[in-house]
Amino acid sequence: MKHGADRVSIVAGLAIGGLGVVLLLDRLGVYDLKFGYTLPAILACVGVILLAAGLDGGRR
Amino acid sequence: MTAVTAQPLRRDVEHGIVAGVCSGVANRLGIDPIILRVAVGAATLAGGTGLIVYLLAWALVPEQGGRSPSWARLAGRRDTWLVLSGSTLLLLSVLLLLREWGLWFSDAVVWPVLLAGGGAALIWRQSAASPPPAAPPPAAPERARPDRPVDPVRALRLPTPAAGPAAIGATLVIAAALVFLWLNDALAPARDVILAVLVVVVALTLILAPWWLRLVRGLTAERAERIRSQERSELAAHLHDSVLQTLALVQKRADDPRAVANLARRQERELRAWLDGGRPDPGESLASALEAAAAEVEETHGVPIDVVAVGDAPVDERATALVAAAREALVNAAKFAGGAPVQLYAEVGEDRTEVFVRDRGPGFDPDAVPDDRRGLRESIYGRMDRHGGRAVVHSSPGAGTEVELVIER
Repeated sequence: MKHGADRVSIVAGLAIGGLGVVLLLDRLGVYDLKFGYTLPAILACVGVILLAAGLDGGRR
Repeated sequence: MTAVTAQPLRRDVEHGIVAGVCSGVANRLGIDPIILRVAVGAATLAGGTGLIVYLLAWALVPEQGGRSPSWARLAGRRDTWLVLSGSTLLLLSVLLLLREWGLWFSDAVVWPVLLAGGGAALIWRQSAASPPPAAPPPAAPERARPDRPVDPVRALRLPTPAAGPAAIGATLVIAAALVFLWLNDALAPARDVILAVLVVVVALTLILAPWWLRLVRGLTAERAERIRSQERSELAAHLHDSVLQTLALVQKRADDPRAVANLARRQERELRAWLDGGRPDPGESLASALEAAAAEVEETHGVPIDVVAVGDAPVDERATALVAAAREALVNAAKFAGGAPVQLYAEVGEDRTEVFVRDRGPGFDPDAVPDDRRGLRESIYGRMDRHGGRAVVHSSPGAGTEVELVIER
């Protein structure tokens, strides 16, 4: 039985990881993250995960 | 005379740069695509509207070559709500970024436009759905006219699954209008009036709620009782038409063991099918159902039955009741006509179906039939009445009998 890569998990991991890196840079003072950018970033992260889950569910 | 037909709007992906929206619209308008590209770019830089319009067009306008719009392909997936939620969040994040960068008209314009656009898209999508299917036209040539008028009410009616999204769309559009008026202070003059109306409505609701609840409960209980009563009548009519009739035949043919065994087997099969929730075959037609019922009665009672059917229609719940009532009329004719041939004539029209069962038997006085005889009272009169039809028996002693069954379609 072939076990393919779980694309949703990969996309979710990348999105959350990217968000974590941005927040870490802000915490370390490397990058000054304003709330005006934080909210869109979080929304985009959740949106990408939902979109990936939806598209992957339709392919099964 | 040459008929001029408008070319439908399609995205021209082959000649487009991104999704072929500008190219497709330019083809439709007969202008150079570069004009539209410049306009969309300028509108995007001036507040993001160009991007929103472009994305909406990409989602809603189908591609050249017959492919469905992206929206329709996404909405057709199993996890539609995930795709829609994700897309909405991504769009929201882009808009918030544009707002943060100052590429923005105004909150009083963009958010209402966005809400109204989403609502309108939902409404248009649902209104494009097919209306509830009409009964397929029967095979009779006189009913296959190409100029058959379209029922405007049926054409406007939305299919049940589409009504919910359409209502959500309408709510979004109304909410967008209210938000727009509120953000532009247009609702301020009406605030006092709205507040007064709201208070009165709340007060009236508190006063009238108990009566309203009692009324709703009473109506629900009455409806449930009516349904139970109808089910009891249907059950009684079915038992009369099947088991009681068979038992009467068994008594009549008690001296023929083989015939009795055949009757018992047939009745057993019929009862089992009925207990298993047997429903009429959706593909079955009314004419063939009447012919089958006539053949069954003819075989059971040994009386010749001539069937003439003009027009046809699919079998639905009303048609099933009509066939059952006609079958009972045939059984009565076979039992009491003294072996004379029985005629069944059915006419299926646009709005109504009529069935006539005639025999040349001794006839009878319908008013003299005792109330406890279920065959006429429940299986014919009651059954037709419960399904919105009517039954009339034309008969008099010595003049034969005609049972007229009429049901609206």
